[in-house]
Amino acid sequence: MNKENEFSRILWQIQDKHGITEHGKAPRRAYFIKRTSVNKTRGVFMHDNKEKLTLAVEIADLLLRSGGEIYRVEDTLLHILDAFGLENYDVYVLSNGIFASANEDREDACSIIRHVPLGDVHLGKIAALNQLSREICGQSCSIEEAWIRLKQCQDMPAPKPWVQGLSCGIGCGCFCAIFGGGFFDAVFTAALGIFLQYMRMEHESRKTSKFMTNIVGSAFMTAASLLLFNLGLPVRQDKIVIGGIVPLLPGIALTTSIRDLFNGDYLSGAIHLLDALLTAMCIAVGVGFVIILYQHFPGGVRL
Amino acid sequence: MMIVQFLLAMAATASFAVLFGVPKDQFFFSSLTGALGWISYLIFCELGFGVVFASLFATFFLTILSRLFAAIRKNPVTLYLVTGIFTLVPGAGIYYASYYFIMNDMRLFTAKGMETFKIAGAISIGIIFGFAIPQKIFQIRCRKKKP
Repeated sequence: MNKENEFSRILWQIQDKHGITEHGKAPRRAYFIKRTSVNKTRGVFMHDNKEKLTLAVEIADLLLRSGGEIYRVEDTLLHILDAFGLENYDVYVLSNGIFASANEDREDACSIIRHVPLGDVHLGKIAALNQLSREICGQSCSIEEAWIRLKQCQDMPAPKPWVQGLSCGIGCGCFCAIFGGGFFDAVFTAALGIFLQYMRMEHESRKTSKFMTNIVGSAFMTAASLLLFNLGLPVRQDKIVIGGIVPLLPGIALTTSIRDLFNGDYLSGAIHLLDALLTAMCIAVGVGFVIILYQHFPGGVRL
Repeated sequence: MMIVQFLLAMAATASFAVLFGVPKDQFFFSSLTGALGWISYLIFCELGFGVVFASLFATFFLTILSRLFAAIRKNPVTLYLVTGIFTLVPGAGIYYASYYFIMNDMRLFTAKGMETFKIAGAISIGIIFGFAIPQKIFQIRCRKKKP
């Protein structure tokens, strides 16, 4: 059972305002389903605290998954829970987990623990969720509407593969030119950048480790630049590599970790900082590996 | 020359904004943040501050700028900061450090490696200083503009 099913079930309940007793599959969270089912006699949707807490945590989950900082996630959670009128709530957010509880001292006490793996950064989702939570706090968005909009945010597509490839290529080319490459260097880097992005997407779909992706990506960039250089083309090899490894750089991890540390979330900051350092090391390993191989190649010229 | 650099930095930041799924109506502002950050870095370099201090000041400027845009456009700061910071992250430093390490040139490796670390530290301090400015200042400015 995954979250998709849970979501579609809740949405179905909202859209179809009749009693729900039959499901295709056995619900894992029987309690949750029972308590949020439609009240047949009045036709009114009953909200209990568990559902409110679940909604808040789902929003926080998606926010954290798409690369929000800990401070923002915690703040959003607290504000939403406050707006829903829950009492005695508490939340604790790590960079890969959420703990939340509400109404601790009452009979309907509820709590949720979520494991949130580090996901793809999608800043559009963060902006949309920020707007949603702002509206919830302003009481201008009902709970049903919030569920539907959360679903919309979740389904917000990543850019199309060719758009991603092209933009990565243009970005690499521009960075190469910024850091001192000539026109030819930039064009070659752009072409390599498109390949690099397709390679990364392929790795992502196969769930390869992030470290391998970085090592292979930077190794590919170095190898390709050495090949171009040895073919006798008028290129500057180092500029191509520098432009080409920009998409792999841990810019986001570094920024997030600093902001987490600054806000006093040392644990999450340390996790992201470690991520940034390891990514940088992976890039260095990929570059170094290819250069060593190249030097041991028969006929390899000392650069 | 500066104009070319500005346009290139803008295009580079914009393409990374596409990659990270920034909403379409914010493209211009995030790319403007990145471009202005890079130009300020170049200007500070020309003024003779050295790479590390130029990074620090440029990051500080970038952070303030992205907070300003965030207040005006009512969006999270992350949108502008994350895309803008890419122009300042020391990718070249990582490359040269690993290259000299492989080449067994320990003197240059230490110099480049230390410089990269210093730049990373300067970026951190720049962001921290940028966020140390109270939020109220940005909000007041935003309120003044609205009516």
